[in-house]
Amino acid sequence: MAEINVENLKVVYRGVILALQGVSMRAGAGEAVALLGPNGAGKSTLVRAISGLLPQYDGRVLDGRITLGGEDITHLPALKVAGLGLTAILEGRPIFRYLTVTENLRAAGHKLTPQRQKEITDEIFARFPRLYERRFEQGGYLSGGEQQMLLLGMALLTEPRILVVDEPSLGLSPKLTEEVMRVLDELRRDKGLTLVLVEQNARAAFSIVERVYVMEQGRVVFEGTAQEAQADADVMEFYLGGAVAGGFSEAKRYRRRKRWV
Amino acid sequence: MDLALVIQTALNGLANGALYAVIASGFVLVYRSTSVVNFAIAEFMLIGAYLTYTMSLFFPLLVAILLALPLAFIFGVLVERGFVRPLLGRNVVAVIMATIGLAATLDGATLILWGPDQKAMGAADVSQLPKEMPSLAFSLGGVFLSSKAVWSLILALPLAILLVLALKYSRYGVLLRAVSESETAALAMGINAPRVVAVAWGISAVTATIGGAFLAGAAGGGGPGHHLILLGLIVFPVAILGGFDSVPGAVVAGLIIGLIEAFSQLYLESLLPGITQAIPFLIVLLVLLFRPYGLLGQHRIERV
Repeated sequence: MAEINVENLKVVYRGVILALQGVSMRAGAGEAVALLGPNGAGKSTLVRAISGLLPQYDGRVLDGRITLGGEDITHLPALKVAGLGLTAILEGRPIFRYLTVTENLRAAGHKLTPQRQKEITDEIFARFPRLYERRFEQGGYLSGGEQQMLLLGMALLTEPRILVVDEPSLGLSPKLTEEVMRVLDELRRDKGLTLVLVEQNARAAFSIVERVYVMEQGRVVFEGTAQEAQADADVMEFYLGGAVAGGFSEAKRYRRRKRWV
Repeated sequence: MDLALVIQTALNGLANGALYAVIASGFVLVYRSTSVVNFAIAEFMLIGAYLTYTMSLFFPLLVAILLALPLAFIFGVLVERGFVRPLLGRNVVAVIMATIGLAATLDGATLILWGPDQKAMGAADVSQLPKEMPSLAFSLGGVFLSSKAVWSLILALPLAILLVLALKYSRYGVLLRAVSESETAALAMGINAPRVVAVAWGISAVTATIGGAFLAGAAGGGGPGHHLILLGLIVFPVAILGGFDSVPGAVVAGLIIGLIEAFSQLYLESLLPGITQAIPFLIVLLVLLFRPYGLLGQHRIERV
């Protein structure tokens, strides 16, 4: 089953920097879960840990366990994790900038038979006509929104059961963010994916997930359904920029400390 | 000016240039996929040429070259696995020093294995006649081409072009370019980056073998000796002129440098003895001053 379970995970970078200090989270099969929180909360670290990419960043799991459908993947290399049907879209839109749109899709779908690859590629182009128009252009010249669509297309070509997306809204206009969220939701429902969505833009994330984890300084400080999170005045105010105009930048850290740490 | 002589010089230049192109394209492939400047490329050529020599003791020369290629591929993969992979992500200078060390090591190893004397293909010692490829030398309307030049043209040039096309269009070529851009992103997409990189090193050893064997005189007469290491230095001017990270650039630059060498040999050598050996490196100087990204080097894509 495509269920992911993280138990008491501790991650350290370069042997000294403790980025996750015992994080537990869960995403059931077919469930959509959001990880929210400010910069430096450890969200991306969690993504790297789940997808087995920590060694690429000179990090390692100190303690704790990650299981995928009951199988322990804590120390599994990235390739094996990908082989189990978990695809991660890392932050910063990691398309291949010097490859054309078509080549990007080919690279992502390299494991499929040519026929299956063509089927999915056609489906992607039908979903994102803009990508089809620009299919011979190098990825680096696409707009932010187009790059995000391309990444989603590439992820589809890996035929994932679990999709982990790190900050898809970064640098996108509110309208495009909405569009990306809509597409993610659509894909998830169409393909029956388990979705782990990492976001700073909580408002966008709420619209498509069932449960929410809020992280701060390497810990999970809130866990609940999207409704509960929205109803929780503290969460909304301190982490998600709800009540406080201006969001994180204005929320004072010492006040948050008082409540959570 | 004698037209026939000019054509002959041009063809000879292209023939040598095709060998440079093949070697440099493998060198550039490695640089692109691992960002490692392989200072041991000349030793790769040397090893390839010696492997061809050893095979040529037992088989006809053409077969010997074909048999040496898989061995060279394995050699390249081993170097990547044992030597390059552990150093990836380290300081650039550390990696450069390491490949220089590798060069010295391989140099010594070939001395131990094959001895210091220059070999002749297919001959275990001086008492035996060297083997040669079937002669393809021809002469047409005053244009004479040696068998070596013809073989280089018909083997190395298509190979270089094939490499360019494969990199552009084949599935593995696309994967290689993807990995060369970002290993992390490739891994996240389930691309077996370590294997792709190892294959790049293997291919580089194969192209170095073809270039090395032919430059050593596999097509007739000569054989491997340590003078190959000096010849191998030509890879750097070729790669730099081509743009250092562009395989098509390396091929074009190889042909250009081959031509320049041939014509310099014809017209300048009598005026300035030794100039032919210096010219490729003068070109390096000019390229680095006026066009640091070479002929076809990648321009950074930046959106503003």
